[in-house]
Amino acid sequence: MAEPTDAVLTLENFSLRFAPGRNLVDDVSFSVAAGETLCIVGESGCGKSVTSLALMGLLPTPPADIVSGRATFEGRDLFQLFDSAMSDLRGSRISIIFQEPMTSLNPAFTVGNQLTETVLRHRKVDKAEAGRLALDMLRKVRIPAPEKRMSDYPHQLSGGMRQRVMIAMALVNEPKLLIADEPTTALDVTIQAQILSLIGALQEETGTAVIMITHDLGVVAETADKVAVMYAGSVVESGPAEAIFEDPQHPYTIGLMGAIPSLGRRSAKLATIAGTVPAIEAMPAGCRFAPRCPFAEPRCAEAPPLVPVGGKDDHRAACWFAPLEAHFSEVA
Amino acid sequence: MAPLTQNGQAPTGRRGPTAPPPILEASGLVKHFGGKRMLLKRSPLVRAVNGISMSVKEGETLAVVGESGCGKSTLGRLLIRLLEPSAGDVIYRGRNLGNLTPDELRRLRGELQIIFQDPFASLNPRMSVSDIVSEPIWLKGGSSRGERRDKVVEILRTVGLRPDMASRYPHEFSGGQRQRIGVARALASDPRLILGDEPVSALDVSIQAQIVNLLEELKERLKLTLIIVAHDLAVIRHMSDRVAVMYLGEVVELATTDTLYDAPLHPYTQALFAAIPQASAVARHSIKPLDGDVPSPTNPPSGCKFHTRCPHAKPLCNEARPQLEAVEGGRRVACHFWREIAAAGSDPRPIARPSARLEKRLALYTACQAGRAELLSHRSSTPTAKDQTC
Repeated sequence: MAEPTDAVLTLENFSLRFAPGRNLVDDVSFSVAAGETLCIVGESGCGKSVTSLALMGLLPTPPADIVSGRATFEGRDLFQLFDSAMSDLRGSRISIIFQEPMTSLNPAFTVGNQLTETVLRHRKVDKAEAGRLALDMLRKVRIPAPEKRMSDYPHQLSGGMRQRVMIAMALVNEPKLLIADEPTTALDVTIQAQILSLIGALQEETGTAVIMITHDLGVVAETADKVAVMYAGSVVESGPAEAIFEDPQHPYTIGLMGAIPSLGRRSAKLATIAGTVPAIEAMPAGCRFAPRCPFAEPRCAEAPPLVPVGGKDDHRAACWFAPLEAHFSEVA
Repeated sequence: MAPLTQNGQAPTGRRGPTAPPPILEASGLVKHFGGKRMLLKRSPLVRAVNGISMSVKEGETLAVVGESGCGKSTLGRLLIRLLEPSAGDVIYRGRNLGNLTPDELRRLRGELQIIFQDPFASLNPRMSVSDIVSEPIWLKGGSSRGERRDKVVEILRTVGLRPDMASRYPHEFSGGQRQRIGVARALASDPRLILGDEPVSALDVSIQAQIVNLLEELKERLKLTLIIVAHDLAVIRHMSDRVAVMYLGEVVELATTDTLYDAPLHPYTQALFAAIPQASAVARHSIKPLDGDVPSPTNPPSGCKFHTRCPHAKPLCNEARPQLEAVEGGRRVACHFWREIAAAGSDPRPIARPSARLEKRLALYTACQAGRAELLSHRSSTPTAKDQTC
């Protein structure tokens, strides 16, 4: 699904491992354009967070070993940049928001101090100007009484307010790309709604490209333009959000959607995905979902390619048997 | 407080028309933490649970839902007397739990069990699975070592673990399996009532579904009563018969599940429902965020505690605390203006339905899982057609 022309970030054939042997992340490609939101969805251990950390240059190598891949951002390959060049980009051109705002903010410095530092690190402005920009940003993320909050320490803020401060820090230098790694998972549902709508509004205003990493298909439906479903280190299905929800093709995507209870009236027992995600040393050859897949056949010992499905170029799935109804039938 | 008899009497859809007597009745439950005299000042008083009366019916699943800090876990623990209330009583099958001696309470404990949220923190890493599960049986007394071993094997099978896993230790298991061990421990003492304190919220979606299904099967089979404390409204809709919605230590609405989800009356319940992102492209951008944060339970607002965030708040809400009044069908709501709000109506939020294609493939998925589907193509090309069926 690479659209090379207006893509802010294009990741191609990214593979990563921590120890010789199987790749923890295997041949992952995606791209995201200005103003667009790409959601990477998957369960714990699917490699979604490690991919985002690698993009930010936040994975120490070694132990991490980037086996292959190019991450093209503004004409440069992020994986080839020196640390100093990467830290110039980080916080200015690319930003990240983490799941737990309390552990990502420094408890020993005030909110204003941390925000101002972010500005001073990347822009040629004096302290007063940086403070003004920081205050502006707090206002933009709709923190009540921002002047007073500037001198607050993180522990004095609620979870939702801390995440707003994180967003303010991430966006204060107007990045081209924002990576949000489970930004609302630690928050209550009413606060999650506030944060999601805030990110959406700021994105509309600035045209920032967003990569949203989440395990919650509800959050995906609410925010995504494009979706990549990851399982055990590879993308098993990708495409426009509408196609993923209306016409899911990969058995994992289908099982995942069947496993979440709906808000509507109860209809049946939840679908389950048998077993658990395989450990890296026990990763099956071929299709990595095969051991848990109800449709697995001998052919699945060979890894299926991510190919267009459903008659659409940008909707892809990695399954030999897509669409399923063309290959399987119920017997009475 | 309204009298207990006004508690939801309407029979729920899944349980036939005659309502059984309550297994558990709570009246005027209050739990305050802190407020102790420190050196020069008092520690802040947290009003975690503030005068709650409700009943739990035999064989039902009652859900307690709310955001963090609303007191839902505290309420759950008060109900099974893991915490002593500051005021109020809990009557379990005719006995006031507050009047029991520690010894009597310990004997009764087998009937009132709990499943914890975090399967990583709630299992003793130094005990094997067999020790963990057999301890409650041993505590009950009157069983030989051999009987206990047989019982452990039986319970492990019941929760979907292999009996040979009994000698392993918790760290050897995945999160879902650990939660099964937690369930097994709760079942070991033949309980009548189990409190699930966020029993699935630490688990991945696919594992969560396994545990939800397991709890439902066990409830049917062992005729259990469940109290589920949770924040995930979709899981609650799926599992429970009645729901109590809590906000800052108080129950603001209590109703049967379908009535509540079809037409929430309290503005807070409405706001909660409006905030849930749904997994469907149709429901996109339909969430309506509520302003502000939950106020601190050390310094709750006066009157109706929700008035600081309520879109319908009027001066009266600041002055008087609304009672949890009975509405038709055993439903109860604590809002001065619920009639006006209901009459004014709100545009109902679209409830996402799975797409036709997803439904078809999901049916195929479950059929294949159950071995009721087969592969159409390639069958003629391979001699062993049997291998090709699911």
